[in-house]
Amino acid sequence: MDSALIPEGVKRCPLPKFVIGLSVVGAVLLWGVYAMLLCWLKGLNQTNMNDYYGFALWIWADLAVIALGGGAFFTGLLRYIIGKDELKNIINFAVLIGFICYSSALLILAIDIGQPLRGWFIFWHANVHSMLTEVAFCLSCYFAVLTIEYIPLVLENRQLDKIPFFHNLTHNMHEVMAVFAATGAFLSCFHQGSLGGVAGVLFGRPFAYREGLLVWPWTFFLFTWSAAAYGPCFTIFLTKLLEKIVGKKLVKDNVIELLAKISGWMIFTYIIAKTADTWYWVAVTAPSKGFQLMDFYSNNAFYGVWILIAEIVVGGFFPALILITHKGRSTTGLLWTAVLLGMIGVCLNRWVMVLQVMAVPVLSFDHWALYYPSWQEVATTILPVAYGVTLVALSYRYLPIFPQEKELNPVAA
Amino acid sequence: MKQEHVKPKKFGMVIDLDKCTGCGSCMVACMAENNVPFKENETNKLDSITWMRVFKLTNNKPFPMNEICYLPRPCQHCEGHNGHSPCVSVCPATATDYDMETGIVSQIYTRCFGCRYCMGACPYHARYFNWWDPVWPEGMEKMLSPNVSPRMRGVVEKCSFCYHRYQRAKDKVYYEGTREIEEGDYQTACTQACPAGAITFGDLNNKHHAVYRLKKDPHAFRLLERLGTNTKVYYVSRKEWVRRAGDNYLPGEEIGKVKGGHK
Amino acid sequence: MALGIGTTAGITLSPLPWKITDDLSIWTQNWPWTPVPADGEATDTNSACMLCPGGCGVTVRKIGNRVVKVEGMKGHPVNDGGICALGLAAPQLLYSPTRVKSPMKKINGSWRKISWDDAIAEIAAKLIELRAAGKSHTVACIAESDRGTVPLLWSRLLTVYGSPNFMRPATMEDAYSLVMEKTQGHHGVPGFDLENADFVLSLGCGIIEGWGSPVRMFKAHSQWKNKHAKLVQVEPRLSNTAAKADQWLAIKPGTEAQLALGLAHVILSESLFHRPFTDNFSDGFESCKQAILSQFHPDRVAESTGIPAETIRSLGRAFAGAKHPIAICGRGQGHVPGSFQETAAVYLLNALVGNIGQKGGVWAMPEPEYVNWPEVEMDSVAANAMQQTRMDGAGGEHYPDARYLLTRLPEMINAGIGDGVQVLFISGANPAYTLPGSQAARKALARIPFKVSFSTHMDETAEMADMILPNHCFLERYEDVPVTSGLTKPMVNLAVPVLQPLYDTKHVGDVIIALARSLGGNIAAAFPWKNYQACLKKTLGDRWAHLTEETYWVDNNYRPTQWQDGFETATGKFIFPDAKRLNRSPLAAQGDLTLIACDSMCLSSGSVGTPPFLIKTVPDTVLKDLYMVVEMNPKTAAALQLKEGSNAVLSTQRGAARVKVHFSEGIMPGLVAMQRGLGHSAYDKYLAGKGVNINELMGPVDDPDSGYDAAWGISASLTKA
Ligand SMILES: Nc1nc2c(c(=O)[nH]1)N[C@H]1C(S)=C(S)[C@@H](COP(=O)(O)OP(=O)(O)OC[C@H]3O[C@@H](n4cnc5c(=O)[nH]c(N)nc54)[C@H](O)[C@@H]3O)O[C@H]1N2
Ligand SMILES: Nc1nc2c(c(=O)[nH]1)N[C@H]1C(S)=C(S)[C@@H](COP(=O)(O)OP(=O)(O)OC[C@H]3O[C@@H](n4cnc5c(=O)[nH]c(N)nc54)[C@H](O)[C@@H]3O)O[C@H]1N2
Ligand code: SF4
Ligand code: SF4
Ligand code: SF4
Ligand code: SF4
Ligand code: SF4
Repeated sequence: MDSALIPEGVKRCPLPKFVIGLSVVGAVLLWGVYAMLLCWLKGLNQTNMNDYYGFALWIWADLAVIALGGGAFFTGLLRYIIGKDELKNIINFAVLIGFICYSSALLILAIDIGQPLRGWFIFWHANVHSMLTEVAFCLSCYFAVLTIEYIPLVLENRQLDKIPFFHNLTHNMHEVMAVFAATGAFLSCFHQGSLGGVAGVLFGRPFAYREGLLVWPWTFFLFTWSAAAYGPCFTIFLTKLLEKIVGKKLVKDNVIELLAKISGWMIFTYIIAKTADTWYWVAVTAPSKGFQLMDFYSNNAFYGVWILIAEIVVGGFFPALILITHKGRSTTGLLWTAVLLGMIGVCLNRWVMVLQVMAVPVLSFDHWALYYPSWQEVATTILPVAYGVTLVALSYRYLPIFPQEKELNPVAA
Repeated sequence: MKQEHVKPKKFGMVIDLDKCTGCGSCMVACMAENNVPFKENETNKLDSITWMRVFKLTNNKPFPMNEICYLPRPCQHCEGHNGHSPCVSVCPATATDYDMETGIVSQIYTRCFGCRYCMGACPYHARYFNWWDPVWPEGMEKMLSPNVSPRMRGVVEKCSFCYHRYQRAKDKVYYEGTREIEEGDYQTACTQACPAGAITFGDLNNKHHAVYRLKKDPHAFRLLERLGTNTKVYYVSRKEWVRRAGDNYLPGEEIGKVKGGHK
Repeated sequence: MALGIGTTAGITLSPLPWKITDDLSIWTQNWPWTPVPADGEATDTNSACMLCPGGCGVTVRKIGNRVVKVEGMKGHPVNDGGICALGLAAPQLLYSPTRVKSPMKKINGSWRKISWDDAIAEIAAKLIELRAAGKSHTVACIAESDRGTVPLLWSRLLTVYGSPNFMRPATMEDAYSLVMEKTQGHHGVPGFDLENADFVLSLGCGIIEGWGSPVRMFKAHSQWKNKHAKLVQVEPRLSNTAAKADQWLAIKPGTEAQLALGLAHVILSESLFHRPFTDNFSDGFESCKQAILSQFHPDRVAESTGIPAETIRSLGRAFAGAKHPIAICGRGQGHVPGSFQETAAVYLLNALVGNIGQKGGVWAMPEPEYVNWPEVEMDSVAANAMQQTRMDGAGGEHYPDARYLLTRLPEMINAGIGDGVQVLFISGANPAYTLPGSQAARKALARIPFKVSFSTHMDETAEMADMILPNHCFLERYEDVPVTSGLTKPMVNLAVPVLQPLYDTKHVGDVIIALARSLGGNIAAAFPWKNYQACLKKTLGDRWAHLTEETYWVDNNYRPTQWQDGFETATGKFIFPDAKRLNRSPLAAQGDLTLIACDSMCLSSGSVGTPPFLIKTVPDTVLKDLYMVVEMNPKTAAALQLKEGSNAVLSTQRGAARVKVHFSEGIMPGLVAMQRGLGHSAYDKYLAGKGVNINELMGPVDDPDSGYDAAWGISASLTKA
């Protein structure tokens, strides 16, 4: 029925099946939208956040999707700036994922603030000293860039491409895409960094606080680096997952392996830096404020040193070591393990930098504050996932996302 | 008019913890003075708006060596380094500001858009978010003071050192001529109410004000000095364990002998 | 398509979206459902607080005709600007939705409005009927106090009408008065010169938890800190007072008298007592001394109190060695009078160190003396009725020394003794909530066929009443507030109306006068005043002008009678307490687990319902959601297999309640402590249904000497729920 819209030379599942699948996801999406409306109309009392947990699940989700979406800027950087040409076969998908992640992040932020209708004050009354101001500006700008990167993709749809204006527009946009990719990479470096800075500048919170360079705490650099390192894991993971779902190969192994290798080395270097940072924090920064390592990891029901080990060893060194070896990245099982561990690692990092920061008592007579999200928070956090699945499904079905698909899956004419 | 030569004020408090009885008058005085809302269930202390909160400290020793001490905690009006307070420096919308003239950390409810970054930044939990619309039972909104605007849902609020009283004092001296604001002209609601006289308020820079002398008490300390928050609320206690509870120390570290900590 | 893009671009570039964005944010800054307080002229009016017997002066700030703040009155002799949390929250009581807004009558279980005239006529008819039937003594009144014009109008009405049953709750002040009467022949109240003491031995007094005049005590406490006076607190739990004390002695509850006598033993055996006083100005010293020396050796006392003998000895020496030592008693806020033995033993310590009537000591203070109405002329009905024994047994055969035994009333009514109570006036009291053993109290109230409440708010007793004739709130009325509460200066405050009454309420004094007038004859003649205000003005005489100006009158020159001028006893000497009465074993046996009550400044446990601001300050270790939280030592809990925060059922012979458990290292093992003041069924959602009323679990224990309630705890059991 919708065959006219489907890219030429590829096979898609029957429309009814697609629609049914989509409506399941749609139901989840509606659930999320309902929770979102509750939050907007009734206020943030719909959440389990409180005065100790001003930042909670949403901010974590925000930071996590942005880190995972980091595959977009980094792949773009590699493809357009560094010139890793093979990556053109996965860049569309990376951009799509980035677009989803960043739009989700903005949506979450809009739900997270107590006065969404005043959200623009962040631009109008901007405080240049605030990391959040930097985040807001860079995030919005980079989202604009991603939109610009995504538009030509949409315009490549078979029907839209027939319109000469769009056809030419797409062509011209592709010509200048390197400029956007460069801008995007720059912006992205900054806001990834400022997101890291958000926690790192909190000199009232010894768990988060880090020294740094000029106005930027070390977390600024670590966040950028980790997003670049782990983002591609997510791109690979989603590609592999999509391949599993649609039951065919979409990207050639060499492309995946190249990305995996780069990711592996990035993670490896990142995790060494992260280890050094952690060591300095434990040995110098925290003690100067009267804290010992175990003050941050004991006397509560959840946060033990396990989380530090899980983040650095299990989610850091393990995937790095797998991905930097040829055998590791070319063995399906190991590759899967590595990208999954990597994703967990970076998500854990974002978790501790948001939630554990809030949980640790600073006043000697205060207590740990633990928190669990309300269903509204969970629903609104799943909302972007449902939205992402929808957008991936539609894009995959109607847009030529994977240039190698045709070649890898010849359709009998 | 030689207003230019007047030294900037630095309003602050000295709270005598040996006198403080934990009675909660300061908390209620603050609520009544500043139109602080209340709700049906206030037993979750993590979402209960108390600009002034009295903490209960214990020495953690077993019965009968156990001791307790109460510690009233208004906003500490941190100066940080050059007015770079933990909260002010992070607010993306400049909805909270450090006033160099008075040392008071302000909060502009109509500008705050509720991102709560400032709350995460404040180690004293002095900031409170309006998770709910404020609702007064029918008839009780009559007790609201016009000097302080009630806050709407979705914004952060905190102790202002009763800033409206400073404005009233300024008006008063303005109408009376050109004299300076004196100690008695500007006192906060909690200071006045405290039945134990545990709180002293004034200009820390003015040697004629009691706080100027009291802050130099050998038993005076500030909360979390090692973090560099540079607060303007001093506490006094003759009990060592209480002074030690005012900051974090590594085992073996002695209070008064650590870098950045209390001298 | 192009059109679409064009339109979008056009709209974006036009001012419209920007204007809308801006307007929306402005709308959020002015949400119509967030109130904007009206402005108006600001005025400050001085008045007197009437929310507790503390006697503070207040300054009420108004904007236009709205009360926006109640603050401590600067320069007032009691509180000088300071104020407690309850006083600060007074506007919430004034504007509470639980105010009774007009006179009401209960018809078939539901409240109907009624006019003042009809209400008074109906009550008068009932009173006339009872009097005609010879049952005037079955009319009773429960008031909060028996001092000041309003309580005195009540007792005058009952007297001339013909009923001895005017009652009020007894407190530790009554226990003290009784001891002073026995030892000094003084009919009055105690005063404690605490500001001038340098060693304060407190046997369980909640010095900073509302004992005596709360704000005055806070100030005294701060003075002790300034001048390094020593405070020793004796009680089984680390209360705030214990926490502030220089020394906290955890004692087995109920053995305080033993400790006091053990200290007396030390002072006597080591000859540390004030010989000039005992030799020249006292009687009965030797026999008292012998009794103590034979019965209260520190080793024995150590056993019963759990305080080491060495500590007792050193404390006794330190106390006697201080320049201005004083010993005081009255547990917590002193709502429970306590035993004669205990009060006498503590009083004795003061006598031994010779501080009676001295600087820093215990003073005999006069009863407020300004109400001097002519004696009522009783007709034969009244005169006969006044010979009847009181319903509560006070002044009767068993308890000749007691003046009011309200805590015994429920038992007497429930036992069906005599003609019972046919009509009960409740004025400024909430016995359905405050009486210990409140189930029995409610049962007794239910048996009274006609109850009239004069409550300002819909409290538990008002809910049970048959008629409510609401009084003005204290901010809306004139009333004299005589202050005792342990002050060393005779004082009276005047509450003035700071605003017009908000509702169709009437001053209870006016109702009494109107009622008397309807009863006619002698009764009407005993109330010659046009209205309450005229009565008050006449009563205060010369002081009226001063009081309306200053709102307080104080006699700064008062000094108690000196020893050489003689005590008021027959011999003119101080009589040491009867050894027989001192030598009693502790009341009530202690089981494995004992429930004790504790007081706090953030809960009102009396007739005033705690307002929302105060509830907000209640820690979550006292109230969690709707649960009462009880405090216990982890050791006690371990034996019962309870964990921090676990739910449990706490039961006593009086009742059972669901509670949550909180661990504290500040309480003696074997005890479980519960705060007074929660567990209301009346009032609004901010108070009703929260926690447990300890009076449901604890009942009165009659002191064998005085009949006053001497309960300090009750055997309890706690099981996991
Ligand atoms: N009757 C009368 N009405 C007038 C005027 C007049 O002269 N007479 N003048 C008009 C004019 S010109 C003006 S500008 C307006 C002013 O009107 P408003 O803006 O309402 O003026 P204020 O009462 O000065 O302050 C408003 C509130 O801000 C609080 N506030 C002060 N400082 C701070 C701070 O640092 N942070 C936060 N969060 N709050 C703070 C004050 O306590 C007060 O509650 O009034 C107008 N209305
Ligand atoms: N102490 C103190 N000082 C303050 C403030 C405060 O709150 N307290 N608020 C500040 C603020 S926000 C403001 S806006 C300023 C306001 O300060 P001003 O602008 O000085 O305002 P006003 O005191 O209202 O008086 C202005 C003068 O204009 C006169 N006037 C009235 N109508 C007219 C007219 O039609 N034509 C002419 N030519 N004159 C007219 C009035 O009689 C008066 O003399 O004050 C500031 N200064
Ligand atoms: S009012 Fe005074 S004594 Fe009471 S808690 Fe506050 S500071 Fe302490
Ligand atoms: S105490 Fe908290 S809110 Fe107050 S100035 Fe310091 S950081 Fe800011
Ligand atoms: S919540 Fe309000 S005051 Fe706090 S940082 Fe955000 S905008 Fe600023
Ligand atoms: S200074 Fe004013 S605003 Fe701050 S705690 Fe005290 S009463 Fe509240
Ligand atoms: S102590 Fe008593 S009299 Fe004084 S303000 Fe408080 S309630 Fe009123």
